[in-house]
Amino acid sequence: MRRYESVWVVNGDLPDEEAKAIIDKFSRIITSQGGVLVGVEDWGRKKLAYKIQGTLRGYYVAADFAGEPATVKELERNYRIDDRIIRYLTIKKADHIDPAALQEEIAARSKSHQVGELEGAAQPEGVSESEAVESAAEGAALSPQDSSLVESATASLPQED
Amino acid sequence: MPVMPRRRRKQFFVRRKVCRFCVDTNLLIEYKDVNTLRQFVTERGKIIPRRISGNCARHQRQLTRAIKQARLLALMPYTPQAPVA
Repeated sequence: MRRYESVWVVNGDLPDEEAKAIIDKFSRIITSQGGVLVGVEDWGRKKLAYKIQGTLRGYYVAADFAGEPATVKELERNYRIDDRIIRYLTIKKADHIDPAALQEEIAARSKSHQVGELEGAAQPEGVSESEAVESAAEGAALSPQDSSLVESATASLPQED
Repeated sequence: MPVMPRRRRKQFFVRRKVCRFCVDTNLLIEYKDVNTLRQFVTERGKIIPRRISGNCARHQRQLTRAIKQARLLALMPYTPQAPVA
C-alpha cells in the first residue's frame, strides 16, 4: 500500500452541511476501495486565488490515507462525477507503508480527537472507536428544535436560582 | 613605453546567495504552505528563477512543483487578479 494525501475543493457557495456530507461520502469511497483512512483535515472556507466556475469561494478538505493505486483511481473518478467538486489534487507521500505504524498513527489521531469525551474509558479496539464516532455524529445530527430546547433549558437555569 | 593597463573591469560586489531550504532544514516545501511559497514568486505570480533566488537545483525543483500544485488548487494565483470593472 502507498500513502496518499488528497485535497478537494467544494464549491464555496454551497451550505456547510453539504460540504460536511461530501466529506462523509468520499471518506466512505476511500474505505470501500480498500483504503485505510488516517485522518481528514477540514481546512474550511477559503478565498480562491482565481475564479472557478464563477465563484471565488471554496471549501477545502484534505484526506490522509493509505491505499492502492486503484483506490486513487476510483476516488478521482468520483471527484470528476460530482460537480460540486471544483478542484482536487492527490499526492503520493510514500511508496510503502508500515501497517503497524499506520495503526498507531490512526489510534493517536482518534485519541486526540476524543480525549474530552472518553476520558478513562479505555477502547483498545479500533472498531469500537469508529462506532463511538458514528454515535457522536448521530448526536450532532439532532434536529434544530432539540438544540433550541437545550439552549432554552440552560438559559432558564440562572433564573431558577 | 609600456602600454597603458586596460581599464579595470567594473567591480561587482556579488553577495553569495545561499539556498534558504538548505540553510533551514526545518523549512519544508509543501503546496499547503502558501506563505513560504509566496516569497518565491514575483508580484505577477511568476516563479523566481534560481539565479535570482539562489536556491539549489534540488530545492528549486521541489519548489516549482509545489507552486504549481498550489496554483491548481487555487491557493495561489497563476496571474494577478484582474481589476474588478
